[in-house]
Amino acid sequence: MLYKGNEEDVLKVYESVKSIGIVYGYKKSDNEIKFDFISGASELPLDVTTTQRPGYYRINAGFGFVHSFQSPKNFLYPPRTDIAIVTENLYVEVLENNIKSVVLFGVKPCDLAAIRVFDELFASNFNPYYFNRRRGIAGIVVEECLYPSETCFCGSVGTGPDVTDGFDLAFARIDRDFVLFKVGSSFGKIIVNKLRLERANESDVGVYRKLVEEAKKKTSIGISVEDMQKALSISIPNEHLWRKLSEKCLGCANCNMVCPTCFCTEIVDEIENDRSRRIAQWIGCLSYIYGLVAGGHFRKELYTRYRHFVLHKFLFYPKQTGLLGCVGCGRCIVWCPVGIDIRETIKSVVNEYGEKHG
Amino acid sequence: MANPFKEMQKGIVVNEVVETPTIKTLTIRLLNSEMKASPGQFNMVYVFGVGEVPISFSNIYNRGDVFEHTIRFVGAVTRAIMKSIRLGSIIGIRGPYGIGWPIKEVEGSDIMIVGGGIGFAPLRPVVKYLMRFRQAFGRINILYGARNPNEFLFKYEFESYSQIPNSRFLLSIDAPYPGWQHFVGFVTDLIKFADVDVKNTYVFMCGPEVMMRVGVKKLLERGFSKDKIFLSLERRMRCGSGICGSCQFGHMFVCKDGPVFKFSEIENYLAVEGI
Ligand SMILES: Cc1cc2nc3c(=O)[nH]c(=O)nc-3n(C[C@H](O)[C@H](O)[C@H](O)COP(=O)(O)OP(=O)(O)OC[C@H]3O[C@@H](n4cnc5c(N)ncnc54)[C@H](O)[C@@H]3O)c2cc1C
Ligand code: SF4
Ligand code: SF4
Ligand code: FES
Repeated sequence: MLYKGNEEDVLKVYESVKSIGIVYGYKKSDNEIKFDFISGASELPLDVTTTQRPGYYRINAGFGFVHSFQSPKNFLYPPRTDIAIVTENLYVEVLENNIKSVVLFGVKPCDLAAIRVFDELFASNFNPYYFNRRRGIAGIVVEECLYPSETCFCGSVGTGPDVTDGFDLAFARIDRDFVLFKVGSSFGKIIVNKLRLERANESDVGVYRKLVEEAKKKTSIGISVEDMQKALSISIPNEHLWRKLSEKCLGCANCNMVCPTCFCTEIVDEIENDRSRRIAQWIGCLSYIYGLVAGGHFRKELYTRYRHFVLHKFLFYPKQTGLLGCVGCGRCIVWCPVGIDIRETIKSVVNEYGEKHG
Repeated sequence: MANPFKEMQKGIVVNEVVETPTIKTLTIRLLNSEMKASPGQFNMVYVFGVGEVPISFSNIYNRGDVFEHTIRFVGAVTRAIMKSIRLGSIIGIRGPYGIGWPIKEVEGSDIMIVGGGIGFAPLRPVVKYLMRFRQAFGRINILYGARNPNEFLFKYEFESYSQIPNSRFLLSIDAPYPGWQHFVGFVTDLIKFADVDVKNTYVFMCGPEVMMRVGVKKLLERGFSKDKIFLSLERRMRCGSGICGSCQFGHMFVCKDGPVFKFSEIENYLAVEGI
């Protein structure tokens, strides 16, 4: 069911969920947009827009902000988590990192898809640090993406630009005076009722659907997921191809850090006085130390690490979670210092193997 | 399931055997706890303030609180073990983790063990198990290779291995060495001398990945069956329990889907360098 309102109502939704718990979402902070605790409506990025291209990101005043280098991952699975304090005689105090009653506000459809990927992944590989925080989420409000960035390809991987389930309330900003609200749960319904929003009429819905269709088209790269997967799985032993595809890569692991579904973690010990703090922190499979072991390396060559990143998203995640690991957010494209474009990688692999080899 | 980092137990080193200049076997007794481990599984061994490393069981006593780890000193954590851990030291232990050798399922068949270098350590509990329940298995062949005669682990047990009834215990070293009376060549070259019913033999193999690739090739050439070959793989591990993602091998997590895998299930991955 869709309801009609305007930007004022978005602010009212924010005020309304604030009473339920701490609100986390995209927020303006200096000249950046972060994913963090939002302390007031003035921090919401409603009056900014972003230009995103391979290796390029700019924020300007405007309308229709997409997303940033951060994502709900920064909240649900933070870059650094204290896991335990160990004393010299090996007494372990576990730090559980619980949070209570949090509302995620203004997350994007691709973000919602990424949360679902984590839910599945960590359900089979039980991760207490993720679930302690996940359990604290009392509500999710999604902002649908009617004006996606050039780098977005959610339409190709079926994660956007609109949402159908797994949220409480969603809103789609058509313009400042025209915002449609979509109810996804009874909690969402309560908020909508409180706001006394009217139901959207047929022509409103028509405008919305048209924009969704356009966004879907814009964010599609014209290859089906099955074709991507087929080509990728044949491509694995083709060292020459993967060397070529990763030729520009620096191994900086920026792509890992911004990807909302990358979860690899290293554990470090930091000594403080006579105790050691054990900390879980992100580590990227593109970085050299990832597979480095005494006397060797499991993915010594950079092309094998880049290949692993791509294969993991498209072939391995589906086996691990039943879901595609790439949610089409395009962050890895935007934040790659040399503009390596995963869409181009996929296209090249499909070109090489798609038609020719079935 | 519980938080794995909470599960750290204290172990005290109750015996120490110097195997080679860079490898030691520590006998560890858990303080105030027990664990039920099976051959092929591993522990995360923690040194205060330095870190953790995955180490296989090289011996499992019946008592449940005593086991052995044979450790090669190579990097930060293992060097810290060499420098600061001695008789009476306390060490952190999390485990047991992983899926070990399918030893119970293979009763009645011929068994072949192929170990290269320190890769023999996780196979030693299998050998001990076979000796203990000798009558439950068919012919037993133990193939063990090292770089030179000084690199063999558990030499003090070789006599007992060679006395297992209805078995062969074959040794190899990579290059000729004064006084060496056994085979010279790679351990995988010993496969042709194994005395087993090829079709009805389970193979347990552990060693460097290149050695296992060659080993599998030779096994298949001799007609061993793909789904009776088991390999123990090694990957960088950081959590040991499916959380950190470090140990991924294709879509598998070596720490929880392995480290022991049936060859037929990983065949495609094993064939690709750096997957
Ligand atoms: C399932 C399994 C069983 C093992 N069993 C044994 C054994 O019985 N005896 C033995 O001596 N060694 C064994 N290893 C290898 C052993 O874990 C490494 O030699 C050890 O981790 C080296 O750590 P380091 O800190 O000394 O070296 P560094 O190179 O300084 O290591 C840094 C980090 O890398 C990791 N690491 C390094 N090498 C390896 C490696 N080969 N495999 C996985 N992680 C690594 C460690 O987690 C360590 O924290 C096993 C590895 C695995 C995966
Ligand atoms: S791989 Fe790239 S496009 Fe896909 S989810 Fe990760 S960051 Fe987004
Ligand atoms: S961000 Fe770009 S350059 Fe850096 S590791 Fe990823 S693909 Fe390579
Ligand atoms: S070692 Fe962490 S997932 Fe396997």
